[in-house]
Amino acid sequence: MARTSALTENPSKNFIKSFFLRIFSLMIIIGTIVIFIDPFFHYHKPWFGLKAVLTDKEYQCIGSLRNFDYDSLIVGSSVAENYYNGWFNEGFGCTAVKAVRSYGATADLCYLLDAAYENHNLEYIFYSMDTSSLAADPIPTYELTGCPMYLYNKNYFDDVEYLYNKGVLFEKIPYMIANSLIGDYDANDSYNWAQWKEFNQDMALGLYIRTPDIAPMKEKEYYQNVLDANINLVKKQIENHPETQFKIFFPAYSMLFWDNLYRTGDLEAYLYNMEQAIAAFLPYTNVEIFYFQDKKEIVTNLENYMDTLHFSPEINYYMAEQIIAGNEKLTKDNYKQRLSDMRDFAYEIVYELILPYEHLIRTA
Amino acid sequence: MLFNSYIFIFIFLPLALLGWYGLNRIKKYETAKVFLTGMSLWFYGYFNTYYLFIIIASILINYFISYLLTFSKTKTTLRIGLFAGTGINLAILFYFKYFDFFIENINYLFRSDFNLKHILLPLGISFFTFQQLSFIIDRCTGKAEHYSFTNYAAFVTFFPQLIAGPIVLYKEIIPQFDDLQKRKFNIDNFAKGISLFVLGLGKKVLLADTLALVTNFGFEQTYFLDTPSTLLVILSYTFQIYFDFSGYSDMAMGLGYMFNIKLPTNFHSPYKACSVKELWQRWHITLSRFFITYVYIPLGGSKKGKARTIFNTMVIFALSGLWHGANWTYVAWGTMQGLLVVWDNLCIIGIRGSEDKSPARFYIPKWLGWLFTFSFFNLSLFFFRSQNMTYAFQMFKNLFSFQNTGYIYKLAVNMDIPEFYIFKQAITMFAPDMLNLAYLILFLLILAISAFVLTRKSALQIVETTDYHSKYCWYISILFVWSLISFSQVSTFIYFNF
Repeated sequence: MARTSALTENPSKNFIKSFFLRIFSLMIIIGTIVIFIDPFFHYHKPWFGLKAVLTDKEYQCIGSLRNFDYDSLIVGSSVAENYYNGWFNEGFGCTAVKAVRSYGATADLCYLLDAAYENHNLEYIFYSMDTSSLAADPIPTYELTGCPMYLYNKNYFDDVEYLYNKGVLFEKIPYMIANSLIGDYDANDSYNWAQWKEFNQDMALGLYIRTPDIAPMKEKEYYQNVLDANINLVKKQIENHPETQFKIFFPAYSMLFWDNLYRTGDLEAYLYNMEQAIAAFLPYTNVEIFYFQDKKEIVTNLENYMDTLHFSPEINYYMAEQIIAGNEKLTKDNYKQRLSDMRDFAYEIVYELILPYEHLIRTA
Repeated sequence: MLFNSYIFIFIFLPLALLGWYGLNRIKKYETAKVFLTGMSLWFYGYFNTYYLFIIIASILINYFISYLLTFSKTKTTLRIGLFAGTGINLAILFYFKYFDFFIENINYLFRSDFNLKHILLPLGISFFTFQQLSFIIDRCTGKAEHYSFTNYAAFVTFFPQLIAGPIVLYKEIIPQFDDLQKRKFNIDNFAKGISLFVLGLGKKVLLADTLALVTNFGFEQTYFLDTPSTLLVILSYTFQIYFDFSGYSDMAMGLGYMFNIKLPTNFHSPYKACSVKELWQRWHITLSRFFITYVYIPLGGSKKGKARTIFNTMVIFALSGLWHGANWTYVAWGTMQGLLVVWDNLCIIGIRGSEDKSPARFYIPKWLGWLFTFSFFNLSLFFFRSQNMTYAFQMFKNLFSFQNTGYIYKLAVNMDIPEFYIFKQAITMFAPDMLNLAYLILFLLILAISAFVLTRKSALQIVETTDYHSKYCWYISILFVWSLISFSQVSTFIYFNF
């Protein structure tokens, strides 16, 4: 009785108590929902029979690498996102997940590899190596590019940004539940974007804007410092993990890519970068390198592309098949010739093969 | 540090409150002030440590001038102090805020090519400079005494008002720091503080930041807007700026209450005003108070004839415009306000039933006065928000072009808030053609909610009249949690798709 009257006598005190009790209750409920469903897989792999719905690589890739069950990785930039994990699983008898990062800079991908190796023994790494990644800064760019570092670091205090996050609560959790329960989402198609894009000549040419002037060709050693640093990053991974088979491959970009490289003066330097990287990786017994950039019938057919780089899933399938079959492999004996042929092919594109399309190409 | 951040709410504020009341409880009163100053500097330096040097230098310089004035016995030395004090403060403000603006104008006028400095504007510099200016001016006119350094530093840096006001006066804050009764935890003020803080937080995070999605897009797309979209953009911005600024002021007042320090009211339902003059008695009240006390009255106020009164009014409004930002758009905005205040002061048209009893030639009903005032303020914000005068004029052109290109749908799509996500998915699935219309309805709904909130009691009135019934507690708790989860959202990495 005395207690009741004390409460009614002091509404402010009553209010403060009730306020904190209610907000703590609400926060516990919300936090529990986020931890249990965990749409970014920050704490665990999917529970309650939910599917691993992977569509936001900046938010989900790191968590999936730390918490999923797998023994192989498909590594690369956006061009690696349309691989169907099942192709590699069937071909090599492994369980692969994707470790992807926009632009596919070497340091960013190695950061993901480190995260994967923390709790996993990897059998295969299918590494889609972008030519441009060898000339990229050898420093991870996650923080610099505004990625949600609360998912990347191991500081549990800043997880508050994940636990009490309107986007997670109102968008990502319903999305994951809906795709698990009513959709036909296939986890093998993680991060796949091809379904929303068109691949044809008009698209490819429409998104290619040529530089008006041809820049002087850079010295081939132009990127030597960053090249060495990037090569060392990959070599470190190869050396530290002799138990892993690294299947590194250079994907087939369109001829527009090579035209652009020529016009920006990067062609010789990029070819040199590739040659140096391949020479550095080939001596390792746990490395195989596959080369697709000189596949003329693919590269010159713009119907395969949506822009200068991005090819249709059919090309992904083709390359996966070749890797599984062990075709298009570079060896110590053939790599110099293949790259020399690539150089000839690049100039053939510039001087000959691109000409029929010139009237369709826009200039900046 | 922002009030609407996790670190502020979960770490900074609890630590600051515990330290303040803990030290005061063991009677370490001076240490408590030093602690509070230290916390405030952490709050300020969290944005950028470089800012700390500026605010500390500014405090030291002003305190030193105040100290020198303790030796001043003659009018001449006081006058020197006045010139030096105001000169130094205005020079600091000029350098950091107006230097590039000045150079741009010099370059434009004389076709010169002086380099811009691109100086990083220290946050809240306009606020803490004006705060200290008022102190120094009063010191020179003998109205203020020389306070202890701990008092002075605690007054200038007191974090609730440091970066966005209200512009507090030494005489309303320092005596509160010195009042030992105020050092004791007061449960009623604390409850008031929580309520006011949460109401302000909701205004800022849930309304202002949501409306900003549309207004930011609208002002970026100035040249594409048609009449209906221009109208909705400016209405949205009018609501946004009020919820943003008054929300921040409510949070500041609420935090003040938590520390048992009463900060002055900065907004008093300005959009209910029936004349522009009345609007300015309700909008950013502490800024108007500063200009009236330290510019308008020293210039002669209304005591030197009609022409001088008009001139003085225009001066303070032009300065007020310039205070808001280094751009001619702000000066234009301020001047527009000044012209209408002058018009009101001429008492040609009066408002029937108004509290202003000055006799007028004609009278109009309150609703008409309100409509005119609100519409005028909306239009004036074209200048306030546009990136330059050309863009501002384009907005006027858009409004009076009487064209409807259907751009309103494109505008409304920016209202892509997480709360709408499930509805969006359902509409996409069952009636995809209706999605644009759904966004428009959502946008109009948010405008309607904003208008509803504006026509109710102000946050302060709510807090002062509540009996803390259970429903009220639920509203405040839900509002807090809803705001809290809005601090962090999932961004789409548009440029990183590939």
